[in-house]
Amino acid sequence: MDIFLQQIVNGLTIGSLYALVALGYTMVYGVMKLINFAHGDLVALSAFAGLTIYTSIFADGGTSIVAVITVFMFTAAVIAVVGVLLERLAYRPLRTAPRLSAVVSALGAGLVIQNAIMLIWGPNMKIFPSHLFPSDIYHFGGIVITFTQLMILIFSSVLMIALYLFINKTKMGTAIRAVAIDQDAAKLMGINVNKIIMIIFIIGSGLGAVAGLFIGIYYRGITFDMGWMYGLNAFVAAIIGGIGNIPGAMFGGLILGLFNALISGYISSAWAETFTFMLLIVVLIFRPTGILGEKVAEKV
Amino acid sequence: MNKTSMISLGFLVVMGVFPFFADSAWLAVGITFLVFSVVAFSQDIILGRAGAFHMGHAAFFGLGAYTTAILNTQYGWPILATWAPAVIIPVAVALITTAPIIHLRGDYLLVTTIGINIIFLQVLENNLFGITGGPNGIFGIDVVTVFGFELFDQIYMYYMAFILLGITLFIMRTLDGSKFGRAMFYINKDDVAAQSMGIDIRYYKLYAFAIGAGLAGAAGSMFVVQYSAVSPEAFDVMQSIMFFTIVLVGGSASLPGVLLGTFVMFVLPEIFREFETARYLVFGLAMILTMILRPRGIWPVKFGNIPAFLKKGKK
Repeated sequence: MDIFLQQIVNGLTIGSLYALVALGYTMVYGVMKLINFAHGDLVALSAFAGLTIYTSIFADGGTSIVAVITVFMFTAAVIAVVGVLLERLAYRPLRTAPRLSAVVSALGAGLVIQNAIMLIWGPNMKIFPSHLFPSDIYHFGGIVITFTQLMILIFSSVLMIALYLFINKTKMGTAIRAVAIDQDAAKLMGINVNKIIMIIFIIGSGLGAVAGLFIGIYYRGITFDMGWMYGLNAFVAAIIGGIGNIPGAMFGGLILGLFNALISGYISSAWAETFTFMLLIVVLIFRPTGILGEKVAEKV
Repeated sequence: MNKTSMISLGFLVVMGVFPFFADSAWLAVGITFLVFSVVAFSQDIILGRAGAFHMGHAAFFGLGAYTTAILNTQYGWPILATWAPAVIIPVAVALITTAPIIHLRGDYLLVTTIGINIIFLQVLENNLFGITGGPNGIFGIDVVTVFGFELFDQIYMYYMAFILLGITLFIMRTLDGSKFGRAMFYINKDDVAAQSMGIDIRYYKLYAFAIGAGLAGAAGSMFVVQYSAVSPEAFDVMQSIMFFTIVLVGGSASLPGVLLGTFVMFVLPEIFREFETARYLVFGLAMILTMILRPRGIWPVKFGNIPAFLKKGKK
């Protein structure tokens, strides 16, 4: 039973990270109907950029709450700028082009980011310093939670609740939802669609950046090509939850994280992705638009 | 004789005499081009013609390769005898795996087909049933033997691949003029209208997957004989993305477009080998630029109001 609960805790931790990345996918998909294949590589870029920012600002290796907050803010800002540039250069020129042309452009952008990371930071694994967060460990009954895990759970929940309120309670959020439903009608109502899309890329990339930093701090080892697998898992999570749907992405991320942890704990981690995609296929057979996705009638 | 057949004839003649002017390194590039263009055409049947967003084609390519490799090394089958199973097994697997997901729309299908590729890869790497050789793959595959005569020279490989490409081109042309080709054309243009005209979308899409997987399997069998070895990383998702990109960069449903796409994606990188490290960076930039400048591909197919193969008496 303790092992089971421990896997639940681990699963929720990974699941929160998937959820943060999945939010970036689902927001872009909801508005542009585009799988942003470069998003996973942005997450990887964030881990590397964060590491460099940390070592260059705090060369003495000192750790404080100020240092950690600075690194997070700085990295999120850098990645948000990259995300906006990505949209400007690779996606905006293709907004009226056939759907698959934009997919190829996104795949190309992913390749560019991934190989830029390799050229800048080299092909070998980089290691995150272990003292960014205190190494405290908390015991609850038989289960163990590290300080990092606790921070991931708390911080990602806060971000997700904030995003949910932003989308549903503010004027800007209403504009985002309007653009997601019908771009042309939104434009006629005086909404600046380009600005909304820019905001979506800022938020999505910022959340991805936070996830990337947490991945670095939690797993410590980071490689230039790790973005692809995290991205794919997160995208699967977004589909399982119902793509285009923000609570769906959070829900899907947590479900997939739990599922992954239980499969790795009880069956084998070598087959993790196989089970992930089997889960995806089973979900799609019974719910073609994901668990929380609405059934949309096809317009002819 | 119209312009298209002139181009095709010119291409076949050039490819036919190519080995007499090429050294062994270039001959290897030529074989790779022929084999990969067959795979690209088979991807085009599914993606360009049937309009099914399919990004897991390396799985069917790899299935053909591994069928030949396993039957040859573990069960001692001669290579020629493995050709039939190398086509039949990918077709069967394609039908079984895509039947439950074929109704999924666009991007959903895209992600689940990536999943098929990843599952295939994990089966290879985890050495299921102990016959795939795990991450190292399989070595020491025989050469093709006809009546006791060993076709070990590269030039035989080249012409075998050349004949396979010829067969593929013949199949593509036949499809265009057939009931299947017309049904594909309508489904791709407007699937709801096609369905209301009585075209069974599910049947034709599965049909496309079956033909595509079969051709890819045959190409995989060639591939494995050329290198006499096979390992899982040749069939990873990156490879599938390559096949997917070839069709869209070249021009979907366009025969010269797909050939050009294969040339650009597989032969140009061979020529620019010196830029090893920055290669994929340039590659990615080229993908973005091509799509921005030519959203329908470099050599798109020209659709008038009525495609040529539907006009009576004019083929």
